[in-house]
Parts: sequence; C-alpha cells; structure tokens
Amino acid sequence: MRTGPPQDAPLSGLTVLVVEDEFLIAMNLASMLELCGARVIGPAATAVEALRLLETARPDAALLDVHLKGGLVTPVVEALRDRHIPYALTTAYSPSDLATLGVLADAPIVGKITHERDLVLVLTRATGS
Amino acid sequence: MEMDDLYRLLRNAHLQAQGVLDTLRDPFVVLDGTLCVLSASKAFYETFEVGRDETVGQSLYSLGNGQWNVPELRALLETVIPRSVAVTDYEVRTDFPDIGERTMLVSARRLVHPDSNNRVILLSIVDATKRRRKEAEQDLVIGELRHRMKNMLAVVSSLARQTRTEGRSGEDYREDFLGRLDALLRANGFATGPGGTAPLSELIAATLEPYGMVPDRIELAGGPEVTLAQDQVVPVSLTLHELATNAVKYGALSTSEGHLQIGWRVEPQGAGPDLLRLTWRESGGPRPAPTPAGFGTRLIDFATQRDLGGSVERSHTQDGLTVEITFPL
Repeated sequence: MRTGPPQDAPLSGLTVLVVEDEFLIAMNLASMLELCGARVIGPAATAVEALRLLETARPDAALLDVHLKGGLVTPVVEALRDRHIPYALTTAYSPSDLATLGVLADAPIVGKITHERDLVLVLTRATGS
Repeated sequence: MEMDDLYRLLRNAHLQAQGVLDTLRDPFVVLDGTLCVLSASKAFYETFEVGRDETVGQSLYSLGNGQWNVPELRALLETVIPRSVAVTDYEVRTDFPDIGERTMLVSARRLVHPDSNNRVILLSIVDATKRRRKEAEQDLVIGELRHRMKNMLAVVSSLARQTRTEGRSGEDYREDFLGRLDALLRANGFATGPGGTAPLSELIAATLEPYGMVPDRIELAGGPEVTLAQDQVVPVSLTLHELATNAVKYGALSTSEGHLQIGWRVEPQGAGPDLLRLTWRESGGPRPAPTPAGFGTRLIDFATQRDLGGSVERSHTQDGLTVEITFPL
C-alpha cells in the first residue's frame, strides 16, 4: 500500500478541481497533486461534468484545460469567477491563440504542467498561500 | 498607304492587343485619363460577371451599380497613381453585389502616349480571396498541429512520470515505458489517419503485434465488425496493452501452455448507443494472484470508466484472469 503524503507536503490542505479531457494527462495531474498533499476534485473531462462537480464542491483552486470534449472550458471559467475561485489554464495554447476567446483571454496560462515544482508554484501563486 | 491598309493595320493591332489581354489569367482593365474603361480582358468580364457592352466607355466607378466605387480604390487611382508610375499588389477589400466579399490585389501602371500626351492606366486585378482564405486556413492548421504536438509531448511525459520506478531497475523501467509509448504511437497512427477511426479487430491486432500473434496462443475470437471513434482509439489500445503486458509478465502468456482469447459482442440498448462488451480470457497459465493496484491497473480503470464511460470487471478463476470491458460505442 502506498502511504499518504506527509503532513508538510507543499499543497497539504488544498482542494483542487482538475478539468482535462486527455485521460493520461488528467491521471498524471491528479497523481502529482495527491503526491503534493492536495485533494483532487475530478478530473472532469467536460465542462458539464466540471459544473456538476462545482454544484456540491468548493475547491480552493482549479486547473483547467481549454479545449474539452464537447467544447471550450469557458462556462467553467465563468462559474469559477462567480465563486471567486482562482484558476489557471493548463494548455498548450499561447495567450495570442486565446486572445479572441472572451473570458479565456485574461486567464493565467501555465502550459502543460510536467513537473511537480511547476504545479506547486502555480497553485501557491493562484491561491496566494 | 491606302486608307484600307491603315485601317487593317490598326484593326489587326487592336485585335492583337485584345488577344493579349484575353490570354491573361487575371482580370485586366485599361482606363483612359478620366478613368473610363477603354478595354477589359475576358477574365475581367468572367470574374466580375459583367458584359462588354455595359463596361467599355463607362467610368470605372459607375460599373456594376458603383461596385468599384470603393474608397481604397479611389485613393489608389486619384492619389497614388498620379504620383507614381507603378503600384503593385495594393489590397482592396469590397463587397460585390453579385459575387460577394472579395479581397483584390490591384497593380497599376500609368502610361503616357509619347505623341498625343494621352494618359492611359493599366489595372491588373488579382482576386486574392481564395488565396487569403487558404492562407488563413493554413495558419489555423499549423496552429492546431503545433498545439497537438505540445499536447502529445505532455501525454508522453505523463506516461514517463507515472510508469513505476520503485523497486525497478533502469532496464525494467525503460521496457515498461517504451512498451506504453509504442502502444500510444500505434493507437495514434489510427487516430491521426484518414477519418481518425479504427476497426476494432485491426486495433487489437496492432496493439498485440509486439507480443507475437502466435495463432495457438492468442486467439482472436472476434465479433461483429466494430469501428471505434477517434477518441476511443487511445484508451482502448492502452487498456489492451496493459492487459497484454500483464499477461506476458504474470498471466497466461508467461508460460508456454497458457492461452489468451479475445472476443466481443455488441449489445443494443434501447434509445442509447450500442454497448460493446469486450472479453479478455486467459487460461492455462499460472493461477493468478491479484496484483497490487499499480499504474497499469489505474490506467485501465481510468480509461474504461472515465474516458470511455464504461466499466471493467476482473475475475480471477482457477483457470486464469478474465477481464470484461463494457462501454458505449
């Protein structure tokens, strides 16, 4: 059995919503978050699924891919803004690619995260902790 | 020279000039100093769907209900041309009543007749609408490809990071990782091919190919021909790969007597999409011990339940492992 992360893990106590439709990337993000001590909500592969999760859960932050199965992540971004929940876009798109996409144009972009160090940095910056 | 000869000469020269004009691929128009049309090429009439009679002798601005009375073009003819001898590829965008919105590249040259001092303006008009649209489409495709490549590398790095390292040698890790990468690449070959779909039988054969499809060891019992959608190809292929690599390490394919049978059924369900029931049946191998939930197991669960929206059932019998994977087509 794998033991849980230590209490002083860098993201200990943080709850993070993950929205990503590429299942291998979603699994990886979830496993990295858990190793860093965070609790994962999702991963959701569609905006509809993410919105359903947000009905009952209140994460401290969210990591969002932009293009999901069935459309853009925009409705999730709007819901997170309404609830004042910080978020970052984990996307391979550059800011200029998103410039015409409404609320997505102002969203912080962190790229596809491949290292725990980046993950911790993004989330501590987003939550201001 | 007789009057007749002179007429013939002029007429021939005119016909020759008109012939030259008409062989030009792009619309071409000759204007006099007051911007009235002296002559136009066949391509001009065809492109803008106008007749010769309603064109020659008319002011360019009045042609086709004033469709050429465009600020950019006026600026070119009235401001730029008088000050320069030639202008190349000046972009004019306008909405033509008959042929719709067009992007034109206008090139112009001013000629002054040496004897009469008459001014003539030659205008070549290239319809760049299609070219511009094509360029925009190409930019989009290139952007999409660049994005997909970055995404693919993120997927590969996800596989690399999640492949187990604890208690494994470097060689073991490399073998596991490259096996998964190979399965991913094979699946991607289908997903990025024509249509992006994959016949299930071909996908199974491609995924198991590295394990050698020995006819008396691995039996493709098959089922009705099923085509997997683009976003089902990778999760199904990686799931099959994990089952196969497990069978080779611990299951029926780890001994010389073991046997593997893969078959499927399609089950219609009322209003919803058909269900695919894929059965992986190992027999004759060592009695399987339930393996601890490693990345392979998590991958199968995540792929079948979350990504394919289906379910997975494992049963360890005396005879070997049986896995049944069900998901909507």
